Amino acid sequence: MKKKAKTLILSALAVATGAQALLAATVGVSWARFQEERWVTDEKALEERLEELGHRLLTADARGSSTRQAADIEGLLARGVDVLLVVGHDTQAVIPAVQRALDDGVPVIAYERQIKHPDVTYVGFDPVLVGRAQARALLEVQPDGNYVLIKGGQQDQYAHGTYQGQMDEIGPLVEDGTIDIIAEQWTTDWKPEVAQANMENIITAQGDRIDAVLCSNDGMASGVVAAMEQAGLVGLPLSGQDGDVAAVNRIARGSQTMTAWKDVRVLGRRAADLADAIAKGKDLASLPGATTFTDEELGIEQLAFPLDPTTITANNLELMIEAGWVTREQVCRGVPPGTAEICES
Amino acid sequence: MSWHDVLRTLDPRHKRLLALGASLVVIWVVFDLLSGGLFFSPRNFYNLAVQSSTVALLTVGMVLVIITRNIDLSVGSVLGLTGMVIAILQIEVFPAAAGWNWPLTLAIGLIAGTLIGLWQGFLVAYVGIPSFVVTLAGLLIFRGLTFEISQGQTFSPFQAGYRIFGGGQQGSLGEAASWIVGGVALVVLLGALARRLRSGEASLPFTLLGGLFASALTLFMIYQFNAYDRPRTDLGYGIPSPLLLLTLAATWIGLFVNRAPVGRHVYAVGQNLEAARLVGVPVRRVVLKVFALMGLLCAVGAVITTSRLNAGTTNLGTLLELNVIAAAVIGGASLDGGRGSILGGILGAFVIQSLDTGMVLIGVSSSLRQILIGFVLIGAVWVDRIAVRRS
Amino acid sequence: MKPLLQIESMTKLFGGVHALEEVSLDLHSGEVVGVIGHNGAGKSTLMKIVSGALRPDHGRIRIDGETVTLDSPIRAHQLGIEMIFQDLALLDNLNATENFFLGRELTRSFLGFRWNDAQRMQTIAKEAIHNINPHFHRFRTEVGLLSGGQRQSVAIARAVHLDTRVLIMDEPTAALGPEETEMVRQLVLRLKKRALGIFLIGHDLQDILRLSDRIVAMRGGRVVGTVEAARASEDDLLGMIISGKVPAAALPGPGAVTLDQEKD
Repeated sequence: MKKKAKTLILSALAVATGAQALLAATVGVSWARFQEERWVTDEKALEERLEELGHRLLTADARGSSTRQAADIEGLLARGVDVLLVVGHDTQAVIPAVQRALDDGVPVIAYERQIKHPDVTYVGFDPVLVGRAQARALLEVQPDGNYVLIKGGQQDQYAHGTYQGQMDEIGPLVEDGTIDIIAEQWTTDWKPEVAQANMENIITAQGDRIDAVLCSNDGMASGVVAAMEQAGLVGLPLSGQDGDVAAVNRIARGSQTMTAWKDVRVLGRRAADLADAIAKGKDLASLPGATTFTDEELGIEQLAFPLDPTTITANNLELMIEAGWVTREQVCRGVPPGTAEICES
Repeated sequence: MSWHDVLRTLDPRHKRLLALGASLVVIWVVFDLLSGGLFFSPRNFYNLAVQSSTVALLTVGMVLVIITRNIDLSVGSVLGLTGMVIAILQIEVFPAAAGWNWPLTLAIGLIAGTLIGLWQGFLVAYVGIPSFVVTLAGLLIFRGLTFEISQGQTFSPFQAGYRIFGGGQQGSLGEAASWIVGGVALVVLLGALARRLRSGEASLPFTLLGGLFASALTLFMIYQFNAYDRPRTDLGYGIPSPLLLLTLAATWIGLFVNRAPVGRHVYAVGQNLEAARLVGVPVRRVVLKVFALMGLLCAVGAVITTSRLNAGTTNLGTLLELNVIAAAVIGGASLDGGRGSILGGILGAFVIQSLDTGMVLIGVSSSLRQILIGFVLIGAVWVDRIAVRRS
Repeated sequence: MKPLLQIESMTKLFGGVHALEEVSLDLHSGEVVGVIGHNGAGKSTLMKIVSGALRPDHGRIRIDGETVTLDSPIRAHQLGIEMIFQDLALLDNLNATENFFLGRELTRSFLGFRWNDAQRMQTIAKEAIHNINPHFHRFRTEVGLLSGGQRQSVAIARAVHLDTRVLIMDEPTAALGPEETEMVRQLVLRLKKRALGIFLIGHDLQDILRLSDRIVAMRGGRVVGTVEAARASEDDLLGMIISGKVPAAALPGPGAVTLDQEKD
């Protein structure tokens, strides 16, 4: 009885607010490993935008396990989601679960990490574009010489994508001898303390020959900086990604060159809009920003909405403060006066 | 007397220590040859000492836990949580300029670690839940809590004073102090060995071999630490603070294990709980104390790691428990309880870290490194089993 | 003469089942009392209560006529009651001295902490073990590597040193050869001379007959009867523990009193 009344009221409300709400969809998202700084922001942006559009969000966290993710996806399907967002922990291993969703008629959007499947739509900051942005920023300050590569977790496709982007830029220069990669290491689980130990050992092996460190994210960059400080290598060109508060602070202090900032709120909103478009039966391919990713090896073509990261350097830190990503106080913590323009006001 | 006879007269425990020391030297020499002389460079020795210290420190506690026939799977998570508590309090909560900030947060961190240890020890000893279950739950709970209180954020930088614990620029003793500390350590060490020889606890060959190895190692390490110059100076770094903390903690704990009633009780509890209880050993309090100590050591490890990284991150210390347990086992701790040595555990930690460091120096990939260390773990226990069966 | 130890109306229930029911017994100093019975007859339960490892549901223990509370092995130890368990409760990975003082280490204070007084412990343990077994010399060897008789020496020496007045021996001759059994017999005689009261628990009726002054038979948690060892035969003992038949030579006393009450 009560339930019926509630439904009635809801329908009345729906009529009142227009036809849109009648199409209210349940959107499910399966996180790979929620326990990193950025995903909290992702979820918030996603949830806010979906609510705005009158939809509902269900989430599940696979905590870094492919098997758990498969179970999570089945659980979300069982709870009746209409659209499924997936951040694949292992983007290969997750395919069977994704296929099950597609078989059930639930459209799947690969969120942030590309899942190579013709019927999956991909939206995310393309790791390849991130890698390119990192390499370009370092090349600007250090166009030649000895590079060290601190790469992410070897099991993570995303790390390979970033690496691929980096090599797109510096590969040709390595060929012609302008740049020499004197050391490179994958980093178990992207852990900063592992990156630190690896960097220390690389400094031992290569000493002062290092001219630049192409590091794949900000967390590992903190380990690299700690290792370089001890060895007295201050101010070497160093890259990162994610726009961590600590990294932005390092950029202001001059111990990190750049971070590839993925304003994940843009991504979250974008994904929410795509889910909304699916719920309303629109043709995604006709939306602005749509493109096709082709994998010739697998013979796969899939719809993609790649987002370009923003390269943040000491020159445009203001951008992040304006976006509300960090506060001026966080950026300027411990920055000696007279060294960074942004902190002078 | 031939070498063979000398070896046969050795106590099995002493034999294991000497074997570990010998393997360490072999590993070092091999990697030095493979890396073209890099391994024995001052910088590498300094880094190796710092990198090994945290694992070795936790291994000291883990050896005791294992001797009581328990296990602690939560050490990585406890380290992560206490590190995060210190980071948030020091960087976000308390004023950044206050001089009392870092000493207070340090104290809170150490207390938090001890309380976590007491809690887990209470569940194991007084409630009777197996330690595997308690600490497996702890692994999940404390890692989750770390994330909850940090919301995934990284916190940085720490106060300058706090950074004395992580080695490097602020955390090294300097040349003169290092020689003094080294001299004191040598006197204590040789004194202890001589005392054991007199009381009959150690045989003459062990005293000679062990004393020679330990003195040579101490002098060599200090020489290396001092030869590693601070950037743009000719002043040597000297002994890194993490190694000093490890030495102090291990000596202190070792004294209790060897010279206080609680040490015998720890071994008794692990060997035969019921018998120990019947003769009047306070078995539950012993287990409680061991877990509390483990928690405290996790907190000290957190201080070293965060101070060194100059950041508190959510995944700090993940999978650390595996390295720590591996080091304890390589060092001769038996998962059946009742057997294990602190010094062995420390040597085990150095063996693991030396392998890892050496392989990075010669450019071996991380996956191959894991495989090799896995095999070394099996190999160490295998050799041990053969030795036990023979004696 | 007042008995050294008196057990009065001891009752212990395990999950509603009587492991002990109104058991009364006494022990004089310089006396060896054998306690016999099948497994489950209640003799182990009774001895665990006397040694402080178990708490009774009902009943009283007096020492020198005074009621005492035995709530832990440590308390029992303080009152001079010691038990040697069948597995001896020795720890294989510790040596004789360490085992001797396990759980009651002698310490001295230094820097506010208690440290082992190794020297004193060594001297005392050596003397005590030599008292029991003059041939013992392997003080540094882990006891796991010692022979059965040597281990027994350590366990007995540990149990009777200092002010022990009541000694409970659980199957002391089980798993020992004739020579070592004879050694234990000599030990028991020596302890008797030192005015200890000894409870001897055992299955080997021949050994019990040879070693004891009085023998108490138990069955189903009750005392069947008490006999003087010199005037009883192995058949008398068997009769008591198997069918509860009390021989003509049975003594009056606490054990017999229980039976009388039953008849009422």
